[in-house]
Amino acid sequence: MSIAISSLTPSTIAETSAAKVVSLPMQGRLSLRARDGLDKLGAALGLSLPQKIGQCARADGIEAVCLGPDEWTLLLPLDQVATVTEALAALMPELPHALTDISGREVTFRIEGTRAAELLTIGCARDLSGVAPGEARRTLFDVATVVLWHDGENAFRMDVWNSFAPFIAQTLEVGCKELAAEAA
Amino acid sequence: MLLIHCPYCDETLPELEFTYAGEAHIDRPENPSEQSDAEWESFLFLRENVKGPHFERWRHFHGCGRYFNAVRNTITDKFYITYKAGEARPDLSALLEDEK
Amino acid sequence: MSKFRLRGKGRVDASQPVVFTFDGKPYTGVKGDTVASALLSHGVHLMGRSFKYHRPRGAIAAGSEEPNALIGTRRGPGRFEPNTRATVQEIWNGLDASSQNKFPSLKFDVGAVNDAAYMLFSAGFYYKTFMWPRSFWDKVYEPFIRAAAGLGVSPTEEDPDTYASRNLHCDLLIVGAGPTGIAAAREAAGKGLSVVLVDENPEMGGTLLSEPQAHINGKAAWDWLADELAALKEAGVKLMTRTTAIGYYHQNLIGMVEKLTDHLAELPADTPRERMWRVRAKQVLLAQGALEKPLVFHGNDRPGVMLAGSAQTYLNRYGVKVGDSPMVITSHDSAWYAAFDLHDAGARVQAIVDTRASVRENLQAEARNRGIPVKLNHTVTATGGRLRVNNVRINPMDGSRVGHGQWIKCDCLLMSGGWTPSLHLFSHTKGKLTWDDDMTTFLPDQTPEDCVIAGASRGLWGLEAALEDGSAKAREVLAALGTEAEISEYTVANDRPGTGVTMRELPTDRSAGKAKAFVDYQNDVTAKDLRLAVREGMRSIEHVKRYTTNGMATDQGKMSNINGLNIAADALGKRQPEVGLTTFRPPYTPTTFGAFAGYHRGDHFEVTRKTQIDSWAEARGAVFEPVGQWRRARYFPQAGEDMDAAVTRECAATRKSVGIFDASTLGKIEVVGPDAAEFVNRMYTNPFLKLAPGKCRYGLLLGDDGFIRDDGVIARVGEDRFHVTTTTGGAARVLTMMEDYLQTEWPDLNVWLTSTTEQYSTIALNGPNAAKLLQPFVKDFALTEENFPHMSCVDVEVAGYPARLWRVSFTGEIGFEINVAAPHGRDLWEKLWEAGQPYDITPYGTETMHVLRAEKGYIIVGQDTDGTVTPHDAGMSWAVGKKKADFVGMRGLARPDLTDPNRKQLVGLISEDKSKLEEGAQIVFDPKQPIPMTMRGHVTSSYDQGTTGQPIALALVEGGHAKMGETVYIPMEDRTIAAKITGTVFLDPENTRLKI
Repeated sequence: MSIAISSLTPSTIAETSAAKVVSLPMQGRLSLRARDGLDKLGAALGLSLPQKIGQCARADGIEAVCLGPDEWTLLLPLDQVATVTEALAALMPELPHALTDISGREVTFRIEGTRAAELLTIGCARDLSGVAPGEARRTLFDVATVVLWHDGENAFRMDVWNSFAPFIAQTLEVGCKELAAEAA
Repeated sequence: MLLIHCPYCDETLPELEFTYAGEAHIDRPENPSEQSDAEWESFLFLRENVKGPHFERWRHFHGCGRYFNAVRNTITDKFYITYKAGEARPDLSALLEDEK
Repeated sequence: MSKFRLRGKGRVDASQPVVFTFDGKPYTGVKGDTVASALLSHGVHLMGRSFKYHRPRGAIAAGSEEPNALIGTRRGPGRFEPNTRATVQEIWNGLDASSQNKFPSLKFDVGAVNDAAYMLFSAGFYYKTFMWPRSFWDKVYEPFIRAAAGLGVSPTEEDPDTYASRNLHCDLLIVGAGPTGIAAAREAAGKGLSVVLVDENPEMGGTLLSEPQAHINGKAAWDWLADELAALKEAGVKLMTRTTAIGYYHQNLIGMVEKLTDHLAELPADTPRERMWRVRAKQVLLAQGALEKPLVFHGNDRPGVMLAGSAQTYLNRYGVKVGDSPMVITSHDSAWYAAFDLHDAGARVQAIVDTRASVRENLQAEARNRGIPVKLNHTVTATGGRLRVNNVRINPMDGSRVGHGQWIKCDCLLMSGGWTPSLHLFSHTKGKLTWDDDMTTFLPDQTPEDCVIAGASRGLWGLEAALEDGSAKAREVLAALGTEAEISEYTVANDRPGTGVTMRELPTDRSAGKAKAFVDYQNDVTAKDLRLAVREGMRSIEHVKRYTTNGMATDQGKMSNINGLNIAADALGKRQPEVGLTTFRPPYTPTTFGAFAGYHRGDHFEVTRKTQIDSWAEARGAVFEPVGQWRRARYFPQAGEDMDAAVTRECAATRKSVGIFDASTLGKIEVVGPDAAEFVNRMYTNPFLKLAPGKCRYGLLLGDDGFIRDDGVIARVGEDRFHVTTTTGGAARVLTMMEDYLQTEWPDLNVWLTSTTEQYSTIALNGPNAAKLLQPFVKDFALTEENFPHMSCVDVEVAGYPARLWRVSFTGEIGFEINVAAPHGRDLWEKLWEAGQPYDITPYGTETMHVLRAEKGYIIVGQDTDGTVTPHDAGMSWAVGKKKADFVGMRGLARPDLTDPNRKQLVGLISEDKSKLEEGAQIVFDPKQPIPMTMRGHVTSSYDQGTTGQPIALALVEGGHAKMGETVYIPMEDRTIAAKITGTVFLDPENTRLKI
């Protein structure tokens, strides 16, 4: 299948009685790496960086998830990327850290509907009941490493690298139809 | 398919998220150029290949991305323990004792 | 109503006729029938031919263990499946079923000549027969074996069905929904646990479906069953039918295949044919019951010979009488009840023949009351009838002596050799088995998994025992899950507990050597074959199995394993546990490839990674090639062009004016932190500490063994920031290697790595007009030799997009690589394309890229290197920092073998006859030497003609660097090509073309 998916042109991937999958518009996305000085980094960002892997923190316009012992992904409006980059750069060299712009790297799917959680079980081997609403995890979905955000009951987001997105979208689309047919 | 406890995430997760990375506790010499050919050969190529409890490395590739160490029985595939990279080699006899 | 269908009996719906065809002939069954039960309702027992001897065969069982009644099923184009068990396949209106292994017809099969040639096909036949002469193997033996081997016929069309997969996590999985499983589920239900109860049949109930006479806690069995299932559903237990647990893997992962559409006349939309469930259960309770064993006697495979318990199932569950005048041969009490049920349904039971001298008095009394003749201490020595049993020879036994035979007429023979606990899944857990001499069978012992086994599968017999054990074992499991349960009590009226003895081959008064007494029906293995194997030196059951193929058919020895073991043990004069049981392996029943593939088939077989510019190339008619997971445009043919023509044109256009190339797939890693330079310096052979920000340097990556692993251009984009590129295929591998060194060898370094491969679309412009084309797009930055020399980088705006602009070249021409945020790549590409028209801008693909770089002698890692090539071998000693204290691979390069001057070294080759060499062709020094020649190297890259006017090649040749100008030879099938060794740079060695 040759569906093109781009964060420049958000679209509906699938919509059935079971779940709806849409791709979201491009947003600012930064990878932050640091071992120490999390307080200062957090202060510069205006939030408290979560320290347990999978936990998230939110402040106005910015959302942070801890993905590794020294790794966070920050989501923010595109026009805030430069501001945040400058704010953190000011902490160098006293506070060693790394900030890398990955805003163009990924596509985000929003997955919601009565059977959204079940839809994810077609490609995710881990027990998703262990990911509480408000948390996120990096994991494997089908053939791709993804970051899965559990936003609320029956609502998820999935960040996928661009080149894997069409394949993952196809899996999700087939799954949406299959689950809907099952209920019928 | 195994379930593996990631010591960084503190979660027990499907093997699919992990990759295997060979025998553990083989340190790259501080100054390789001072190594004799025999020492370098040993570092590069010689491995224990034990039958039974094996110190080995795994990486939580599709998760936190960290390399960590494990003791796994190569006969039963049972993990006795996983621990963070850089931590001391656990006492095997104590681990085996705990099993009883 | 068909002749053998009994009104008011069974669980089928007689008011709903279903018409299907078998071997082209229409039959009417009813809703709920399998192909086997429907055929039997018409008195049809002959359902197939056997695999090796083409003997006529009928259904011997009523479930998934059936070895004989294998059919092909067809549902329109593409939907053909061989080797389906007729005893499992449910009928639907229009089902097209056919028998197998027959020609020209099921009733008259020429292959049955194999049966007459029986002596030829005994155990080890292939091993002994097809050994000599060696030359016969390819032309005679193999084609013959291939033609004769295999069950059924493979489908030839692509399967149009879809398949699915799903993961499921639960607290308790119960495998088998017979009385044991249902009682267990009942204990666990309603306690806040997630409980899954799974059964391979369309309907839950197991044995209960064949035992309507029982009363459980005062309720008729089927009423009790309906109430229990409703209660389980109400309590939230997930009930899964038509779902087979095929394998038990580590840490309670159970693979289950759910069949969703094989029983339906109309295929529903968006519904997969099968779904693979990967179930991770905290606890597993196995309640798979027991399988009935056949008895082993001459002619025990004739259609009409059937397991007694299966006959009971056909009668009670399907309302089908398998014959009017059945006869029973048994060594177990259970078959007596089959006789009673058939009698009560109107059949004239000819006799109950029991090998035992004494049998419970109440059974004998029940037989007497019904007027059924009983023959205790008797054996069966033969059956008669061509396509259906019509008489049976029975003989009295007196100690070891077998008396005179007597033929008794019958139209079916129901046999029972006792019951074997179903231990398949338990064995998958590496569970230990223990031999029980009394029951002459293996029973489950310890398992390393969080798993218990209950009911008939641990040797218990009778409904009450099964129910109580299911309940008791469930309480064990619940305790492990931290939950308690009340004790449930079960009282069963009309229960049919029983005992029996285990027989090997039944005693006979005839020559045992001539007996066709089958042990493994599907593979046509007889008792005689097993004994022959032992005589010929096989000592372990594993050897006997492989020599005879006993238990190796698609039924996995469900019926044959224990009979085979008992016979082999007897032949060896050992106890069974000393001979051992062969290993049960997944899957429990034959499983389609589709179920394993799941969603991954057709165009969704595996991910094809595409760049943001790929769709442009596709629209331009590019020919693609796979590179790792990516697909890349290989060349852009114009009308009438083949690859060589297109590549020659693309090469020329790039060298003449400007070419545009999508380099987005190159791996990219952002290395950031105060120690970034130190880290890159340690990883790569080249010196990086002094590389100034704004500059690029080629980097060569080795393993610590000293061999080339990867390469790429590395840009220092800031004091503490590097943008590293890798090969397309090496991106993930290089990042993994870097993370490994960083995390585990040098955790003290303050540096972090991020994959930015997909952050950027990378567009390469190459050619004399590249700067002219690009300049107008670049904001406030001059693309001059002085301001932006070769191997520079800068962050600028290109066409309004923030970009990392590099001055690099993989072609030998003036070159730029523009990195912009990936989603903008397509737009930038089109803008450059538009603006490039006055320059005759030409898109080129990977093939042209390969030619252009080869003309300059630039290597491609993985093509010109193979994991055994050092920088020196590749002629790249210049890339190795001489003053560095250490880098990955430095010590490795000093290994004695790696400094040998006679290693294979990368050189250029020009063929004397100007022909294109074959990539991979071997090179010799002396073409006149005798065969086998000593091979001295091979061609790694070869191109027809690019812009140098002649074919060029790169090759690895022993001591090649010292052989410049010498001639080597490339022997091909039709001729030997002479070629001259040259340097690797074929064009512009002074790099004058790189200058703006």
